[in-house]
Amino acid sequence: MSELDAVPRQALAELLLTVADDEFVIGFWDSEWTGIAPMLEEDVAMSSISQDEIGHARALYELLAGLTDTDADAIAFGRPAADFRHAALLNHARTDWAFTVARRYLYETADAVRLAALARSSYAPLSELVTKMRREESYHLLHMDAWLRRLAAAAHDRLASALERAWPDAQAIFTPPAGEAALLEAAILPDPFAALHERWLGQLRPVFAELDLPIVSAAVPSDGRTRRTDDFAWLHGEFTSVAGSEAGATW
Amino acid sequence: MAESDRVWEVFRQESEGDPMIHGGSVRAPDEELAMHYAREFYGRRQESHRLWVVPREAITELDDPDLLQPPFDRSFKKPGGYIIKHKLEAAKARAASEKGE
Amino acid sequence: MNETERAEAFYAHVGSGGKVEADDWMPDDYRAAVLKFVEMHANSELMGVLPEREWILRAPTLRRKLALTSKVQDEVGHAQLLYRVAEDLGKPREQMLADLMAGTTKFHNVFHYPTRSWADVGIIAWLVDAAAIVSQQALRDSSYAPYARTMKKICWEESVHIMHGRDVVLTMMNGTAAQRALVQDALDRWWGPLMQMHGPPTDPSKDKDLHWRIKAKGNEQLRQEFLSIYVPRIRELGLRIPDSELEYDEATGRWHYTEPDWDELRSVVTGHGPKSQERLAFRRFNHGQTQWVRDAVLAPAAAAA
Repeated sequence: MSELDAVPRQALAELLLTVADDEFVIGFWDSEWTGIAPMLEEDVAMSSISQDEIGHARALYELLAGLTDTDADAIAFGRPAADFRHAALLNHARTDWAFTVARRYLYETADAVRLAALARSSYAPLSELVTKMRREESYHLLHMDAWLRRLAAAAHDRLASALERAWPDAQAIFTPPAGEAALLEAAILPDPFAALHERWLGQLRPVFAELDLPIVSAAVPSDGRTRRTDDFAWLHGEFTSVAGSEAGATW
Repeated sequence: MAESDRVWEVFRQESEGDPMIHGGSVRAPDEELAMHYAREFYGRRQESHRLWVVPREAITELDDPDLLQPPFDRSFKKPGGYIIKHKLEAAKARAASEKGE
Repeated sequence: MNETERAEAFYAHVGSGGKVEADDWMPDDYRAAVLKFVEMHANSELMGVLPEREWILRAPTLRRKLALTSKVQDEVGHAQLLYRVAEDLGKPREQMLADLMAGTTKFHNVFHYPTRSWADVGIIAWLVDAAAIVSQQALRDSSYAPYARTMKKICWEESVHIMHGRDVVLTMMNGTAAQRALVQDALDRWWGPLMQMHGPPTDPSKDKDLHWRIKAKGNEQLRQEFLSIYVPRIRELGLRIPDSELEYDEATGRWHYTEPDWDELRSVVTGHGPKSQERLAFRRFNHGQTQWVRDAVLAPAAAAA
């Protein structure tokens, strides 16, 4: 922290915010399945996964709070919607189970590629945290892979159209944070996001070919982490409704 | 109604080396999801070291009291069936008196 | 042994503290009584998810978000555990869900009411769960062993919920005047349903659930236990319980209170509570929305593939 120069420090803060906001927002959307998922057993499983994401967001916000001298809850609940940096994929509402599986599969696989890189970060607090996160994310991958394969076999068209809908905005997971060059130079980020994107596509192609699922041609959008939607504005209104209801109150 | 999923019985080991104890059951259409759901219902609080997940139909139950609680004496099969306290005291006394002679 | 003798031997076994397993022979009326009792409990866990679920997206800190989601998840888990017990008594899960959604089976009165503020989240997790755990702890002695075992696991989890709820309430009571007012308002609204929750006093000789040891304690005994533990804990925070008659009688060792509104209880649990129909409609809607998923992954064709 103190050993970091101002430039990579600012870029690191941006990077942490993008990963944390991704986990926070997808964790919020999918926590909405708690109580209404397709089967009781699956209800508990999906709830655990969304709780894991909130837990990861909390740890990342805490790391960020240490850099910026604030606290994790203030970062999570104290910002206007426009200041969030999650990928456009997470702007969409929960929708239905097919969209949830499609989005989660794309997110989990992309996140796995990103975390594998960040586990090699030169910034030790980040690489240590990411190593812990990956131990929980491996279950998410297994579980979403199980669902992708089941829906591909038994509800192919629903899954395919959900994937087509999610695909363009999923590329935004690889929209680099401001200051990527400084992060690469300091080896905080071992590989550029463009390379991670290629790696991800390389992993998905054979799986999607095997399951006869569509891959839509789409580039990584430059505004992929700044675009906001009405769905997200609604979610933001929900999660700040109590936290913002009384200035200075402790909850 | 779709009711073709199966019941899977879950056994859990609390800590390394402990016996496997029946925890409960989950319903799942196949082994892979059964494992995931077993993890959720019997491991999500870090309360288990290991789980066994078994399709219910693989379990054979035996609860016939004629087989498990046969009525005739089985004390010779149990440590408690051998009461040696008085015999031991007598043997010690005898040995001590022989030594004293 | 003929059927009558067999039943007499069964009830003698149960009456002397004996346990019954799912595969054991049991009289039809015992099976029906256990099934009805467990099914209503399962329904209550499942419907009990909904009032608190409304606040999952509004939890005001990261830790509260985790705790509340986890608590609601536990309630879903309890529903699964209890439906599993009921399924093994012979009624399919889909049928139980269909009956619940059609309004032909019941769920506990407290889950028919609205949640109006974050303070409701605290009051429900603390006091509704506390009132529930008083009866659930007694159910660990149920003669139906699969239910008794399940209640051990459930009680352990519920104790965490009570801590979470009490922590929410304490934090707000130590906060601003507006926060304290929210808690008092929530308590004022929840006290009536809480006092009704264990049901009117019953004649133990006519309560067959008690007689067969499906449950181990009577309604009034459970309510007295709840009051003994929780009235002092509520009052020590500076909260006012909205019942001017409520007081402990040292001579009889019992709590006196204003007679709960049993008409309201009967009306609410038969589907006429303020949120009864809305919540059932919400369940029906979501069950319908996800039917294709169950058809896809649980259908025989998919299982064979």
